[in-house]
Amino acid sequence: MGPRQVSAERSESAVFAPEEFISTDHRLFIDTNVFMDTDPDRAGGLKKLFGRCMDIALRNHNGIVVPSKVIDELAKQSGLDTSEFTEERAAAVHRAGQWLTALESGAAAGFIRKDLGDGSNPYADDLFVDLFTHFGGRYDMCLLTNDITLRMRIRLLGAASQRHLVAGTVCADGRLAVDPDQALYERACRKLARMTRHIEEGLGKPKDHAEVEMLAPLLDAFKRTFAVNEIDARHTDRRSIRLPSTPAGPSTPSAFRRVTALKPTDRLLAPTSIPKTGDGVTGETPQTKRAVMLGEMLGVGGEGSVFAVEGDYSQVVKIFDKDHRTEHRKSKIGLLLSHVLESQGIAFPTSMILNSEGEFVGYTMPRASGKELQATIMRPARFKRVYPNWTKADLVDVCISFLEKVAYLHSLNILLGDINPKNVMVDEHKNVWIIDADSWQIEGYPCPVGTPMFTAATINGEYADALRTVEEERFAVATMLFMILITGQFPYARAGADGSDFAALIAEGKFAFQFKGPSDRDQPEGNWKFMWSHLPFKVKRLFWNTFHRNGTRSTRRPTANEWLDAFREYRAVFGSADDFDPMSDDVYPFRFRAFRPDTPIHDCPQCGRANAIVGLWNEDSGSYFEPSLCYDCNQNKSRCADCGKPKHPDTLKDGRCWECNRKRNNAACANCGKETPTRYMVDGRCSNCQLIRCKDCGTPTAKADLSYGRCATCVKKSAELDSTKLCVDCRQPFITFDHERWFTSKGLDIPKSHLTATKRACPPRPAASAPPRRTASTATPPKQRTAPPKAAPAPPAKSLWERFVGWLSS
Amino acid sequence: MALNIGADDLVENPTPRVPVTLCLDTSGSMMGEKIRELVEGVNLFYNAIDEDDDAHDAAEVSIVEFNSAASLIQDFASIERLDRIDAINATGGTALGEGVNLALDTLEKRKSTYSNAGVLYYQPWLVLMTDGQPNGSSAELERAIGRVTDLVAQKKLTVFPIGIGSDADMSVLERFSPNRPPLRLRGMSFKEFFEWLSKSVSRVSRSTPGDAVKLDLEGLAGWAEL
Repeated sequence: MGPRQVSAERSESAVFAPEEFISTDHRLFIDTNVFMDTDPDRAGGLKKLFGRCMDIALRNHNGIVVPSKVIDELAKQSGLDTSEFTEERAAAVHRAGQWLTALESGAAAGFIRKDLGDGSNPYADDLFVDLFTHFGGRYDMCLLTNDITLRMRIRLLGAASQRHLVAGTVCADGRLAVDPDQALYERACRKLARMTRHIEEGLGKPKDHAEVEMLAPLLDAFKRTFAVNEIDARHTDRRSIRLPSTPAGPSTPSAFRRVTALKPTDRLLAPTSIPKTGDGVTGETPQTKRAVMLGEMLGVGGEGSVFAVEGDYSQVVKIFDKDHRTEHRKSKIGLLLSHVLESQGIAFPTSMILNSEGEFVGYTMPRASGKELQATIMRPARFKRVYPNWTKADLVDVCISFLEKVAYLHSLNILLGDINPKNVMVDEHKNVWIIDADSWQIEGYPCPVGTPMFTAATINGEYADALRTVEEERFAVATMLFMILITGQFPYARAGADGSDFAALIAEGKFAFQFKGPSDRDQPEGNWKFMWSHLPFKVKRLFWNTFHRNGTRSTRRPTANEWLDAFREYRAVFGSADDFDPMSDDVYPFRFRAFRPDTPIHDCPQCGRANAIVGLWNEDSGSYFEPSLCYDCNQNKSRCADCGKPKHPDTLKDGRCWECNRKRNNAACANCGKETPTRYMVDGRCSNCQLIRCKDCGTPTAKADLSYGRCATCVKKSAELDSTKLCVDCRQPFITFDHERWFTSKGLDIPKSHLTATKRACPPRPAASAPPRRTASTATPPKQRTAPPKAAPAPPAKSLWERFVGWLSS
Repeated sequence: MALNIGADDLVENPTPRVPVTLCLDTSGSMMGEKIRELVEGVNLFYNAIDEDDDAHDAAEVSIVEFNSAASLIQDFASIERLDRIDAINATGGTALGEGVNLALDTLEKRKSTYSNAGVLYYQPWLVLMTDGQPNGSSAELERAIGRVTDLVAQKKLTVFPIGIGSDADMSVLERFSPNRPPLRLRGMSFKEFFEWLSKSVSRVSRSTPGDAVKLDLEGLAGWAEL
C-alpha cells in the first residue's frame, strides 16, 4: 500500500490560501492570461481572490504584483477589434478591458503594484522567470498563470531555491491550486505532443515552434529533477486514437472551432421522400459521389432507421424520419465531413446521403461492432450470460477504450452531448464504439437530446435550447464510467429516496457509496457496496469527489484524460503487488475488500466458496476479527427459513420469522374463516365450527350454530305451537313442541288444555274482525298474542288506574 | 451452496422498473367468452414481456380484480415470478372504485419497497378495464378518481382506461383520465390490446427513466377507438 498511497496523494492538486503570499517577505504575481480567463470553472475566482487579499495587502503594504508588462498586454488586447473573433475570444478581450479598469483603481488604492518589471524582456513570461530567479533567494513567491510551460519553469526554479516558489492557477473559490508534479508533467507532455502535431500538420505558427523548442528540454529537466513517471502522451495519442488517416485531402484533420454562441433554433427541412430498403441513394463527400443501395433495415431508433449498405458490409446508413430531417443535422454532418476524420471505434460520418431528388436524408458511417452497453454490461443477468468470463480488469479495459474515444473527440472540440448506454457499444474484444454522430455538439450546433441519468444538475429545460458545457459533459462521462464498473448501477441510487425522480437525486448530490467516513446506511441494497469497495482508493476518491455534493471535484470534474490516467493506473494494479485481494478482479465480489495485504482471507466452511471470508480490522484492539462464516452465510444464518428475509436470530422461532410462523401454524377455519392455530382445528374447522348432530333432527351442525344442542331450524320449530293438539276448552292450539317434549321427558301425560298446561285460563279468542282497541297502540304490543303460551300468560290488561287516566285524557 | 439468490433479484437487478398494475373487471357481465379472452390476453402479455429483452428485466406486473368486491390476485413480481392464469371466475357486481383503490394501495406499497431498497423505477402504469357501469360504493369511486387524477397531475402515474364493448361507461372512465381519452375496445380485441401494451412497456424500458415516453397511439388503429 505504501508507494501507492504516496502516488495517490501526489496526484491531487495542493490548494493554498492566497493570503499566505501577501504577508511580509512574500510576493504574489499574476500573469496576463489569468485576467483573460473565460473558463467557467474558474469564473469569479480571481475576484474572490482579490476580495480575500485586499485588507491584508493594504495592512502589510504588500500589494499583489501585476507587472507593467502585463498591464501593457491587457491594454493591447482590450484595444483589439473583436468583430472577427469567436465569442470566447471576444469575451476574453472584453474581460481584459474590465480588469484594466479594476487594476487602475486597485493600484490607486495601493493594493495592486504595477510598477514592477520594467525590464527589457519582450514577453511577460520571461519577465516572471527573471523575477523569480532574481528574488528567489529573498521572498516566498507565487505566480498565478494558466500557462503550463511557465508553471514548469517556476517549478524547476522552486526546486533549486531555499524559498517557497510556486506557480498555480486560481480556483473558483479564490484559492490557489498548484498541480502535482506528475500531473503538471503529463499536461506538459500532452501540450508538447499537441504542438508537435500542429507543426507536422502544417498548422503550426511561429509561436508554436518556439514553444516546442522550449518545452522539450524543459520536460527532460523536469523528469530529472522530479521523480515523475514517463508517459507516452504523444504515442498514445497517435496510436490508439488516430489510426493511419486517409491520404491527405484538401482539408487536414484538425479541431473544430470553439463556438460559445448557440445557432438559431433548428428547423425541419422541406418535406421530401424518405428512402427505404431497396432504394438507391447517393453518398456524397466534399470530394466524391457514389451510388448507394439501401439494404435490410437493421434497426429503428427515435430519430430514424439504420440500414445496411448493399455490397459494402463495412458501412451502414442512418436515414432520418421526416420529423428529424433538420437543418442542424444536415449542417453538422456537412461540418464533420469537411474534416477528414477516421478513427477505430468512432462512427464518424463517411458521406452524406441524398435521395433521388438530391435532398439530404441521412448519412453513412462505419459499421460498429458489438452491442449497446444497455444490452450488455448494464444488465447483470444478461451480462453474466453473454460474457461469463469477464473480470474486473476487462471492465477497466472497456472504460479505457471509452475514455480514449471521448478524449479524442474532446480534443477536436466535439462534445458527445447525449452520452448514454445506448450510444456506446462494446464487442467481445472490449472494443468500444461511439455512435450517434448526428447528435454531437459541434461549433454552436447543440445536442438536441439527452438522458436524465446522465444530465448534470446545471442543465435545465430543453436540451436543444442551450449549448452544453464541457463540465456538464464530464458529469456524463463520470456517470458512464461508474455504471460500467458497477454494471448498470446509478451513482445516485440510494435507499430511502424516491427512485423515480432522477433529476432530484442528481441535484441533491447525495452519493451514498461509502468513502473514508463511516458506512452510509443509504447505500442501495444488494452487492453494489462490495463492488464499490473493491475499487482502488484513487478511483473511489475521484468518483466520490465528483459525485458527492461536498466533493472537491463536484464542479471541477475530472477530464477524460484525467480519468484515463486513473484507469490506466487501475489497470496496472491487476497482477501487481497491490493486487492482494483475490476477489478484487471479480466483477461481482460478495464481500468487502481486504484492508491490507496481510489481512486474513479464508474460504467459507459452510458454503465452501473460495476467499469468501475476510478479516475485519478492529481499530481498538489493533487486530483482525475473523468471522466464522461468510457474509451471505451469516445473513442466511439468521434468515427466516420460509421467506428468506434476513431477521435477527432472537426474533426467529423454529428458524422462522413471526409472520411465517403465523402463516405456517395458523389456518383459516373452513367454516367461519377465522384464523386459528392449526393445532386447535379438527377437519379444517375451528372448535366453534365443529360439526355436532342436532339432538332433534340429527343434522350435523356447527357447534356455534347450536342452541341447547339444537340446530336453528329445530329451535324455531320447538317454539311453535303444535297445531295438531287443541285445547279442550277453547279449541285452539295451546302447547309448543318444546313443552310437549318436556312433559314426555318427565314421563307425564301431555296436558289437554291451556289451564292444565300453563296454569292459566284460556286466552281471549283473537277476533280478526274486531277493530283494534284504542289502547293497543299505547300499551300492549299485539305480537304478545302470538307468543308461545308458555311465555304468554293471560292477556295483559291495563290497570284500572291506567284506564281511568286514559279515559280522562281522551 | 444454499444461497438465497431468488429473494434478492429485486436488488441485484439495477434496471429501473416499470410497475404495471392491471385492474380488471370480473363482474358477472364478463362471464363467458369475454373473461376467457381477457385471461388469454393477460397470459399473452406475460409471454410477450418474457420474450422482450428490455421489458424482461424492467416490467413488474400486479393484477387486481373487482366484482362485488376487490381482491389482489397477483402482487407485483418480475416476469420470472409471475404465474400464468388458468381462469378467472366472473361473477357479481362492478366495484370499480374499490378495485382502483386496492390497485393504488398495492402500487404505493411497491413504490415504498423500491425506495427502501434504493431501486429505481419509471412512472407506474395503471390499466383499468371494465365492461359496465360501476355499482360499488360511490364514495370509493370518487376517492379512486381523486387519487388517480392527482397522481396523473403530478406525473406519478400513467393511466389507461379501457372500455370493453358497448356497455362500458365511458364517461366514468373519462373521469379517471383527464389528459387522454379512454379507449373502447372493438369487439374482443384483448389480444391486440395486450400486444400493444407489451410493446409500450418495452418501449418505456428502452427509454431512460424521466424521459417523456411517447406512446404509439397510431398502433391503436384498427382495434380500438379513442
